[in-house]
Amino acid sequence: MFARAIRAHQLYLPNNPTYVRALDMARASFAPIWQHTDELVLEVTDTQLKWEGRVVVNEPDKTVDALPWTLYKDGLRELRLLRDAEQQEFIGLLEVIARVRRGGNEDDDLLTLLWEREFNFIRYRYIDLTIDGMAPLEVSDTANNQRLVDPANVQAPPQEDILPAGVVSLDEFNTTLYFLEENEIEYLRESVRREYESDLRRNVVTILLDIYENQIDATVRDEICGILDILLVNLLTAGQLGTVATLLREVGTAASRARELAPEQRERLLLLADRLSEPEALSQLLQSIDERAEAFEQEELNQLFAQLRVRALGTIFLWIGRVQNQKVRAQLETAAARLASANTSELVRLIGVPERDISLEAIRRAGAMKTPAAVTVLGRTLTHADDEIRLASVNALAEIATPGAMQQLEKALDDHSRDVRVAVTRAFATRTHRPALSRIESMIKERKLQGADLTEKMAVFEAYGAMCGANGVPLLDGLLNGKGMFGKREDTEIRACAAMALGRVGSDAAQAALRRASGDKEILVRNAVNRGLRGGPPS
Amino acid sequence: MSSPRLTPATGAATLNDFTGDSFLRRAGRQLVVTIYGAMRVIRLYPPENEAVKHALDELASSARHILEREKELEFKASNEFIFVNATRLRLDLDNYASFSQILSLLRVCGVGSFRVSEEATSRDWLVFLSVLMAQAKDAESPTIGDLLERLEGAGVRVFDLGPPQENEDDTDFQRRAKEAAKRTYAQSVAVTKEVINSVRMGQAPSIKKIKRVVQSIVDQILNEETSLVGLTTIRDYDEYTFTHSVNVCIFSVALGRRLGLSKLQLYDLGLAALFHDIGKSRVPVTVLNKVESLNDDDWRWLAAHPWLGVLTLFHMRGQQELPYRAMVVAHEHHMKTDLTGYPKAIRPREQSIFSRIVAVADGFDAATTRRVYQTVPMSPAAVLAGMRDNARRGFDPVIVKGFINLLGVFPVGTLVVLDTFELALVHASNPRPEALSRPIVRIVSDDRGNILYPGTLADLTEQVENGAFRRTIIKTDDPGRYGINVGDYFV
Repeated sequence: MFARAIRAHQLYLPNNPTYVRALDMARASFAPIWQHTDELVLEVTDTQLKWEGRVVVNEPDKTVDALPWTLYKDGLRELRLLRDAEQQEFIGLLEVIARVRRGGNEDDDLLTLLWEREFNFIRYRYIDLTIDGMAPLEVSDTANNQRLVDPANVQAPPQEDILPAGVVSLDEFNTTLYFLEENEIEYLRESVRREYESDLRRNVVTILLDIYENQIDATVRDEICGILDILLVNLLTAGQLGTVATLLREVGTAASRARELAPEQRERLLLLADRLSEPEALSQLLQSIDERAEAFEQEELNQLFAQLRVRALGTIFLWIGRVQNQKVRAQLETAAARLASANTSELVRLIGVPERDISLEAIRRAGAMKTPAAVTVLGRTLTHADDEIRLASVNALAEIATPGAMQQLEKALDDHSRDVRVAVTRAFATRTHRPALSRIESMIKERKLQGADLTEKMAVFEAYGAMCGANGVPLLDGLLNGKGMFGKREDTEIRACAAMALGRVGSDAAQAALRRASGDKEILVRNAVNRGLRGGPPS
Repeated sequence: MSSPRLTPATGAATLNDFTGDSFLRRAGRQLVVTIYGAMRVIRLYPPENEAVKHALDELASSARHILEREKELEFKASNEFIFVNATRLRLDLDNYASFSQILSLLRVCGVGSFRVSEEATSRDWLVFLSVLMAQAKDAESPTIGDLLERLEGAGVRVFDLGPPQENEDDTDFQRRAKEAAKRTYAQSVAVTKEVINSVRMGQAPSIKKIKRVVQSIVDQILNEETSLVGLTTIRDYDEYTFTHSVNVCIFSVALGRRLGLSKLQLYDLGLAALFHDIGKSRVPVTVLNKVESLNDDDWRWLAAHPWLGVLTLFHMRGQQELPYRAMVVAHEHHMKTDLTGYPKAIRPREQSIFSRIVAVADGFDAATTRRVYQTVPMSPAAVLAGMRDNARRGFDPVIVKGFINLLGVFPVGTLVVLDTFELALVHASNPRPEALSRPIVRIVSDDRGNILYPGTLADLTEQVENGAFRRTIIKTDDPGRYGINVGDYFV
């Protein structure tokens, strides 16, 4: 049962029914033993476990798959399980054995793992194969020689004045001086707590860079750079991003202030941050962030990204679109925004790169950051072949909303993508961009919207209503209430949109036009008119 | 192949066993705390006070808890240890004051042990503790007979008192403790030597061995620290660097224990302490062993060992994780608490508590050792006084205080001249916390100047009939003056 429980522990997760069953059976198997004794003492040999001289486990193979050998090879010779061990510490023992089986030569051995566990119900006898057999301590040859001391020395004044002869310092006898006060005990407790809360790796990083700055010897500096190189990878692997940020920041500090620093030494130092900003290395990092079970703190990511070279921005933009974890994506976006805001020119450059995903994210970021410097390049991307890029560019320009940005947007009014056109007209509506009024008006007058869907029509009329003012009422009134040559009215959707635009104008004349249509037989028109009269939003 | 040894948690047949089972450890400590609590309130308030009643109820309940499970309750005091049903209770920062007071009270009253019967009530405990405290205060030399008479007079018959005795068990315990300490010390020095030499040769040292050695030291210190601390006096056993590293490890772990660190924290501390001078493996041997005075370059090499230690530890293979804590300690152990000293710290941070502990242990051992560039070592007492009184040396005063508390005003290995004109070596600090300046000594020469080996132990708190102390230290001295090899008396 014991061996089976060990196997189950290695093979299954703790909530797996097979594991739970194996554990329960192993625990249950102790019950008959405790009826006879309070402790189960197993003698361990290389191939067997014996209880009271009888073989209870026999595994002739001397491999780590064999329980006796696993225990025996590291020096265990007797395993003693006390009553309740199976309830209190059995899983701990299984974990230890599993670790020993998994472990390599450099891993802790069985004795160390058992020692660290501090079991109370499990005891053991062992021989220490690693350190036994050392030469014993011996007394010196002079110890047993019969000899006399010189009485003059004994009675002479002392050589030092710790306790001058015949005079006793009261302080020495006030032993309470050496008892720790409550506040001193608290100080020690607090120090120990801080010791175990402190980031040892960060301390070691700062120590290494202190040494680097203090020592001008080129060999030493080379050695430290080599260590930092390895440490950087170790820290990344361990997910210590805050410490990586410290390392990169302090490397920069050392590069700027270390005395007698040769150009090649400075270059090598700075290479650390360069390397992490390279697409391959950074992609590894971002992938690991995405796949990691536990999320990082935003501050940790911000600190790290702040230390990256500006060229890292492109890779980060690329990965924002790739990451699966929504929380990580939001974190990346926040961190990327900070990095981009500090490096606008790189952000602008990335808008124009051929890699679609990078360009797209850069466009979005430029919009979100309202970056006026991006207007010109965004104007160029308005003619990009990719609809999504053009649409993102329109949205970005609309966010930036400078006169220049709005002027660039006019280029997209005739875009072949309906989504782009809608976005542009909505932007004009939102920003009340009057320079575009004549083009909007001509779209309405010249009946360019006949093939458009309702959404686009609404967007155009919305924009017109926002910009035209009282001058636009006759046109809109005509569309809503006018009749053609044979008494034919305009298309219902156009009339509804005109009613919506009149509502947006809101003047008395516009209201009067709306009231005239309040009894319209078309429900779509009537609804739009009523909303326009109420000044409500377009549906 | 040596015979199997038992784990620290193993049964009574081993010196490693001071733990018994965990129930007794926990319940025993609870009993000590409740006895101490009751003693304090009895001193302050009348018996009818609610606080007294409550404390006594808790005490009676603690005792009953043990009796219900164990069917017996024997409380035994032996040196600085308390045993409950033969299980030695562990000391730590939270309870050492209570241990100290109870041990002191029992010692003064001449009580070595008492057994408690199942019928013991709160009132019985009140009478028992009151009588003990009154006896300690009033009687010149109270005896168990006096106590029993007073208890009988008060109608209390549930306590069976026994005298203090160094019985067969104690002697045997100490003998085995000493043997284990010697084995641990020898192994530690050998392994340290192997590791440092491996590093010097560019080979991978055995980290497993180092871990086992530190585990042994921690076990030994938790078990019976006197023997191992005594062995730190073996300053000439082997080359300085190896014995020094082991000594610093022993002092650090013993001090850490006194400061209340847990077993695993002591392990971390011990590993860091053992590696604190690993940087010396990169200092030329010619500099380390130079007999003539050191020139500036030599000193520069020696001053480099803390930061060389950091680099060396990075290159140590054979470990699952880099020993970051040991790196910090190796780098900081010559720094002062404000991070001045050497190497120069540029970036602000707080000195590790472990570095502060190792700094004190290292400072003490280094100053009290004869080395190639320090032919006249200072006496241990002088070193401690210097650490305590000279703030410019930058040791953490609280840790120095703890260190003096550990070693006594006259540390283990100090040669003292007594007012009897006998020479003695300090063997151990006095288990009576109020007698730090009156250690247990080993008389190594009689009043006529005959060197004695192995000598005899004497407790300097021992008094003659008129109440005067039988022996008193009048000065400390250099054992070299008398051709005394201190280490011989601890092996």
